[in-house]
Amino acid sequence: MTEVTQSGIAAEEVQAPADPSPRRRTWRAFRQNPLGMGSLAVIAILAVVSAAAPLIADFPSGYGEEILVGPSATHWFGTDELGRDIFAEVIWGGRISMIIGFAASFLAILIGVTVGITASYAPKLDPLLSMLVDVSLALPVLPLMILVAALVGPSVETLVLVIALFSWPEVARIVRSQALSVTRLPYVDAARTIGGSHLWIMTRHLLPAVAPVIVVAVVLTASRAVLSEAGLSFLGLGDPNSWSWGKILYNAQRSGALTIAWWATLFPSLAILLLVVSATLVSIAYNDARNPKTREA
Amino acid sequence: MRLLSYASRRLLRGFATFLFAVTITFFLVRLLPGDPMLAIAAPGMTEELLARQIADLGLDRSLIVQYVAYLRELAQGNLGISFLRGQPVSEVLMARLPWTLLLTGSALLVTIVLGVPLGVLAAVKARGAVDRLVQMVGVIGQSLFVPSIGIFLLYTLGLWLDLFPIGSAVDPDTHGVARALSILHHLALPCLTLVMAQLASYVLTLRATLIESLGEEYCDLARVKGASERRVVWQHALRNALLPTTTLVGLQIGFLVGGAVLTETIYAYPGVGRAIFEAVGQLDYPVLQGAFVLLAATVVLANLLTDLLYGLLDPRVRTA
Repeated sequence: MTEVTQSGIAAEEVQAPADPSPRRRTWRAFRQNPLGMGSLAVIAILAVVSAAAPLIADFPSGYGEEILVGPSATHWFGTDELGRDIFAEVIWGGRISMIIGFAASFLAILIGVTVGITASYAPKLDPLLSMLVDVSLALPVLPLMILVAALVGPSVETLVLVIALFSWPEVARIVRSQALSVTRLPYVDAARTIGGSHLWIMTRHLLPAVAPVIVVAVVLTASRAVLSEAGLSFLGLGDPNSWSWGKILYNAQRSGALTIAWWATLFPSLAILLLVVSATLVSIAYNDARNPKTREA
Repeated sequence: MRLLSYASRRLLRGFATFLFAVTITFFLVRLLPGDPMLAIAAPGMTEELLARQIADLGLDRSLIVQYVAYLRELAQGNLGISFLRGQPVSEVLMARLPWTLLLTGSALLVTIVLGVPLGVLAAVKARGAVDRLVQMVGVIGQSLFVPSIGIFLLYTLGLWLDLFPIGSAVDPDTHGVARALSILHHLALPCLTLVMAQLASYVLTLRATLIESLGEEYCDLARVKGASERRVVWQHALRNALLPTTTLVGLQIGFLVGGAVLTETIYAYPGVGRAIFEAVGQLDYPVLQGAFVLLAATVVLANLLTDLLYGLLDPRVRTA
């Protein structure tokens, strides 16, 4: 008895340094991927700059003296049709774009994970939930978001809710398919046999098993939410009192600056591209780091 | 026989999807904060017209009765009256629908025509220079914001090089061949915008599935039997690799339609998407609601077609 315990501990002690937890192993592999780390840094910089917007530039409002001038030392990104500084608009716009992206993604993940895990665990609910997810995924989401945003009236809260409301099915689909492969494993049966409640099994056994998928879903849902916000704002459904990247493009389109001033659309476009590409690369690097096949290569 | 039951199941599913779309719009419009009258009563509407609308939709009755009435009107093609023009929404939108179908249909066609060879090229030389380039461009391509692509093309090919016209879909007073050419000329930039927006997804999916297929035993067998690599790729592997790509068409059509709304807005292309943009500006709710119902119907039909195509392509669906 003691011998077995002792040898067990000894074996663990020997193996511990060589075989760290999967989480640490993934992180170690991720750190060695320059593209992944670079993208993470870009997202961090964008987040810090957005958070520090009030320290960097005044909120762009009112009228400026120089109307539609190109990039210069005083106006790095040029000015718009009312003479407002586009650099300030991009910085302040980043705040709203990222806040909406993260908030909408958080809500969508919350709903999507709940639905996905429930569907995988409860065979009776699964057909109904799966059909709901499939059907929502088949619909053209943007026109639906437009209808709801227009009815409720544009604001930051509306955008967050509308985007979350129509983004969760994607998360639910991914989480369900991952959780489904786990619910069939013996350890879930074991947990049920020892009398574990359904909630306990779902939160303590299924949730950790799908955690890596959720990490990827958070990143991708957030970047897609940023694109959705930009799309809605571009169509004139952005929050009227704040800037966002899509709204800068909307202004350029509405005022006609779009055809005169390339800088009015280039810089917000680049900001969106930078954020979304970085998020995509982070998720790819994370998947590679998690997968032993690519990790060893 | 097998195919028939497959087709009827898909048909049922398409119908359920459409019913779901109609149902959520109905309840969203009525249960969201705000006056439900707002969704049917235009500021300039005459009393008589308003009374007819209220009677048509039964807004003075219970929600369930209203819902049934709404479905009945919808079955007769009645989508309500546009605020702006006082014209039936269905008339306003049906005049626009052909342009949107032309735009999305041509974009899908061009995407597949370009995407298949590109995906094959990347998969055949997997991990080579071309493959890495395709993957890198693919990641960026998947992250593009549709209006950004549109504005970029409008600038470079439209304004700077002056190769293509911007705005509207056809020159007025053209006939016959000249009219067809004018339509194509106006279509080029919006179509290219949508192609750029979705090409990456197709190329990357086809690449991944083709690499997988090429590693399978039946491809090895074909090689052992002396088939040229070209034949193995195009005749053996591609056939199987195209199946997931067909599924992707179904998944991407919703995105394509959303992209069309944004693209038509930039190019003032007179499709349903541009009508949506105009309706947002004027808060013309019946048009917004009708446009969603119409686009949902289009997407459901397109999905049904790809499903049937899948059934024809995949022998397992026919015989299993």
